[in-house]
Amino acid sequence: MRPILELRNLKMYYDTQAGQVKAADDVSFVLNEGESIGLVGESGCGKTSVSMSIMRLLPENARIISGNIFFDGRDVVKLSNDEMNKIRWAGIAMIFQAAMNSLNPVYRVGDQIIEAITAHEPNVTFEEARQRVASLYKLVGLDPERMDNYPHEYSGGMKQRAIIAMSLACNPKLIIADEPTTALDVIVQDTILRELEKIQRKLNMSMIYISHDIAVIAEVASRIAIMYAGKIVEMSDSVAIFKRPAHPYTVGLMSSFPSIRGEKKELVTIPGEPPNLLNAPDHCRFVPRCPFATDECWKAVPSYTEIESNHFVACFHPQNLKKRVSINA
Amino acid sequence: MMLKYIGNRILQIAILLVIYVAIVFFMLHAMPGGIKTLLISNPKLTPQAQEAIIRAFGLNQPLWLQFVDYMKNVFTLNLGISFSYYPTPVWNIIAERLPRTVLLFTVATLIAFFVGFASGKSLAWNRGKTTEYVSTVVGIITYTIFTPLLIFVMIWFFGSFLGIFPLNQFLNPDLWIHTRLNAQIVFLYILMTMVIIGAVMMVSYLMALRFSHKESTKKMIFYVSTAISIVFALFLWVVSPIGIYGADILWHMVLPVMTVTIISYAGNMLVMRDSMLETIKEDFITTARAKGLPDKVVRDKHAARTAMLPVVTNFVLSLGFVVSGGVITESLFSWPGMGMTLLDSTLAKDYPLAAGALIFTGIFVLIAHLVVDIVYAFLDPRIRY
Ligand SMILES: Nc1ncnc2c1ncn2[C@@H]1O[C@H](COP(=O)(O)OP(=O)(O)O)[C@@H](O)[C@H]1O
Ligand code: SF4
Ligand SMILES: [Mg+2]
Repeated sequence: MRPILELRNLKMYYDTQAGQVKAADDVSFVLNEGESIGLVGESGCGKTSVSMSIMRLLPENARIISGNIFFDGRDVVKLSNDEMNKIRWAGIAMIFQAAMNSLNPVYRVGDQIIEAITAHEPNVTFEEARQRVASLYKLVGLDPERMDNYPHEYSGGMKQRAIIAMSLACNPKLIIADEPTTALDVIVQDTILRELEKIQRKLNMSMIYISHDIAVIAEVASRIAIMYAGKIVEMSDSVAIFKRPAHPYTVGLMSSFPSIRGEKKELVTIPGEPPNLLNAPDHCRFVPRCPFATDECWKAVPSYTEIESNHFVACFHPQNLKKRVSINA
Repeated sequence: MMLKYIGNRILQIAILLVIYVAIVFFMLHAMPGGIKTLLISNPKLTPQAQEAIIRAFGLNQPLWLQFVDYMKNVFTLNLGISFSYYPTPVWNIIAERLPRTVLLFTVATLIAFFVGFASGKSLAWNRGKTTEYVSTVVGIITYTIFTPLLIFVMIWFFGSFLGIFPLNQFLNPDLWIHTRLNAQIVFLYILMTMVIIGAVMMVSYLMALRFSHKESTKKMIFYVSTAISIVFALFLWVVSPIGIYGADILWHMVLPVMTVTIISYAGNMLVMRDSMLETIKEDFITTARAKGLPDKVVRDKHAARTAMLPVVTNFVLSLGFVVSGGVITESLFSWPGMGMTLLDSTLAKDYPLAAGALIFTGIFVLIAHLVVDIVYAFLDPRIRY
């Protein structure tokens, strides 16, 4: 399998008056063609910052300090904005967190999708583009007749489906879905995610799912990376993470979502404050909230260990190891 | 749907209009001596003429009948005889002057809108630069400046200091003395030319929308047909014998138009800037960027197009402000339109003319309001019909 996206030690900081916010600190992962990865963590841990770095859609006060983002073999960190515009949507499309406001209220929904098509494929005629939109609408379960409606005439779920259709418009190799369903109610959320997964498999696209809800992600993504305070603290395939969470933070995330199909819950069950990314300390960032912390944890930043094949964790005291040993034995 | 909405708005405006005329009527009645005295208290009127007016306006009837008559008279344009221009009927004076005000306002408003729109847009887009800071401060100054002061500055700078524009009046008498042309006719030709060019622009815009889906083709259709109609109109004016007189009137229009433009420009610019700053934070702008659209397209097609809506709303709100500014402007530039008529007739105690001017200024404002409402409905699909 060929890697489609590779992040290598990405550091992206925001400059603020209070100091540097280290929103992405040494983030590395590889995503292969046709594969999907879930990026999971509490709100504010840097998930959106990572995805916006990949799209190079960062606000003015953001800086990519170091690291590389290889997409399809090219380092997008080094590309000019014009070159980047060719990759945006045609190579990497996005499904945004705020589906409600992601469509321009003054244009017809279909026209907004057609706009993306004609921007990247100038030879496509208007009629051809309309036909493509119609078939995309069918694919995501929308009535093609609705493409001439305005966004305010759509329900929340329909808007999200339209945005999914839009993300598929230029046949991208990679789609980043940043909390694609948080704004929707649980049932719609579930169906849409499942359909998204089906489409992803059918079209053999790569996918980054972003969510604070590990249970939701475990169902649709083949691999999961857990983010905490700008760092990936654990990464493995979904089953391993779900069955044998090793990082205490992951364990906390799991117990804060007791049932897979339960109500959407905020992460209130991990005690302590979510981290402040300002002036990141030079010790494990989870230590103030960690029930397993020892003196060691206050002295250094833990590096990654591979506790089982392709299961990485950055912690001095990984959990659930016993079970694993017996499995490996 | 749209037609129903427009129909509703027209009905509402019509009702407002009747209420407005009624208010003017009762205001006149509240004056010392009532309408009767107002209408005939002019030394120029002979007793017979006074009799005739009393009979024509039913001034001896009970109040409610007078009111009905008055309404009927207003809507049949029977507004009485002006005292100061005796015996010219008020309607004739208004029919001559209203177009001048309409032209002054429409031209100034359109310029102010588009310049305000464009500058507010680029200020917000290039935020954080010194130019933004300076223009915003200048904008706020012109926005808050006392209108007469602005006019004196304009007159002094362009009229006296640079000496490039005439100081006041509608035309240059030295030029017109040699001709038997009627200035009003020439003026109406100018108005007609502008209306035709405006219509060509609108039709070509709609045609472009209909016949092409390519941004560049749309723009071309629009610009080419606009340019052709303007060149053609200019050509006709240049070869026609009245061209020079038309030019004279236009020449006299420059300063008043500029002043009214400045009065309403700053408001447009500031609102557009604020609205644009808000809009570029919206998620759909991030979507537009993520789609890989060129910066210019994101700015114009997505941000500015949406940010423009509050500017249109603001225009409705500031209409009264612009009209009062217009009254002062017309008076100080001796531009014989409705504003100046309103002021002069009030000062001369020419009540029939003052009432007529008041009513027609009101009608003009209400119609402007209606037009903007309709334009807004076309601009914002979210508007509920
Ligand atoms: N433009 C910005 N300027 C400064 N700090 C920011 C900016 N955007 C986000 N942050 C901070 O960066 C951190 C990561 O934010 P974000 O990537 O949005 O997290 P997530 O998507 O996981 O909720 C947060 O602490 C947030 O406050
Ligand atoms: S390194 Fe120590 S403090 Fe950090 S998560 Fe592991 S056990 Fe907890
Ligand atoms: Mg986020």
